[in-house]
Amino acid sequence: MIRTTVPTSVRKGAALAGVAGLLVLAGCSGTADAEDQSTDTGTDTSTESTDSGAAAGDYADGTYTADGSYQTPETVESISVTLTIADGVVTEVEVTGDPKARETEQYQGQFIDGISDEVVGKPLDELNVSRVAGSSLTSGGFNEAVDSIKEQAAA
Amino acid sequence: MTIWRFDAIGTTWEIETTNELGADERQLVGAEIDRFDREWSRFRSDSGVTRVGRDGGSISSSDAGAMLDAYLDLSRTTAGAVNPLIADSLAALGYDASYSLVAGDPISAPAGWTDVLRWTAGEATASSPALLDVGALGKGRLVDLVADVLADLPGDLVIDAGGDMRVRGSAVRIGLEHPYDASTAIGVLELQDAALCASAINRRAWGDGLHHVLDARTGVPVRTWAATWAIAPEAMKADAVATALFFDGGPELAATWGVEWVRMSTDGRAERSPTCPAQLFTTRPRA
Repeated sequence: MIRTTVPTSVRKGAALAGVAGLLVLAGCSGTADAEDQSTDTGTDTSTESTDSGAAAGDYADGTYTADGSYQTPETVESISVTLTIADGVVTEVEVTGDPKARETEQYQGQFIDGISDEVVGKPLDELNVSRVAGSSLTSGGFNEAVDSIKEQAAA
Repeated sequence: MTIWRFDAIGTTWEIETTNELGADERQLVGAEIDRFDREWSRFRSDSGVTRVGRDGGSISSSDAGAMLDAYLDLSRTTAGAVNPLIADSLAALGYDASYSLVAGDPISAPAGWTDVLRWTAGEATASSPALLDVGALGKGRLVDLVADVLADLPGDLVIDAGGDMRVRGSAVRIGLEHPYDASTAIGVLELQDAALCASAINRRAWGDGLHHVLDARTGVPVRTWAATWAIAPEAMKADAVATALFFDGGPELAATWGVEWVRMSTDGRAERSPTCPAQLFTTRPRA
């Protein structure tokens, strides 16, 4: 049985990519421990699904844990992966993390209101405002440089 | 109210006053902006920042301590995403002093910036050449300085530096510009005796995914948040929080400093601080 505990659905893709990499690492260390005839030229013998019933002992039985991290646009996430191998087959995978990404429940609590509210813009001319605040207006050199790029792109 | 409009530090300013500003007052405002620019602009070849970027050494400035203390808070709460030595990362993507706007490979900012940069209240010193960019809060600082210059001016006052503003006297009703449609607002708020600073990725953008808000740890432009707004008594803190809100840790910094805020994600969702006074135009989708 494979039990995968991934903390957030949004990050699942990235987390699983990390798991795949760590499985390779775990496999490598297992191979080093097991004193088999290192005739395997492939390095990616990392998943149980490709196990074609080769002799048990490719990997030493046991429980392996590795820590890893991956970069998201706004954070560096760390995860810990624990593998259990029995008879040369991965029988359990557990991924745990302490996610910093903003999707996580623990982060959404006390400092933030309106986590999923969708914006519906209203026309400024209906709002009777005297000023508008957005990104800083640009002037001078920056605008000229952007104009220059547009001209080059259009040429 | 009368409005004095001029361009400075790469943006358009409006100073709105009950009575028209005299020549003396305009001269004082202009001199203060020029002093700040000569000390802190990386876009001028004769500035202190440019010299320290080339040679190392010190910048004597009454702004050094206030700004770099705030940067230390910013850096800590965002786990290094905000960093005053981000200038080379911006330049790597083309946002350099000559506005080449030609993007090369991203580079991260030096994580150990506090080893390179030391400061006191009135001086910042780099032990080796280090190019600063105080863009996370510098414009807010300058709005505060201009407000100080006009501290004794009677009547109402609005200082608007291209969207970063400080208001004194009567309340001003302000629209929060939609970052993808400048003809609409995502909300409104009334600002009185306070500052509002905004940041967004739609201007100061020059190519596919290229804009001026970078994560210092990677040197890559941020993608989760499209626009941020922060309200504080002083513009520098509002400006700093508006920058921090592009990263994890921004809401915590805002809570620590007592700053209210709104932010909108690139997929069109809005968040705000629990006691934010802004009225937002949003809908809560069915779960």
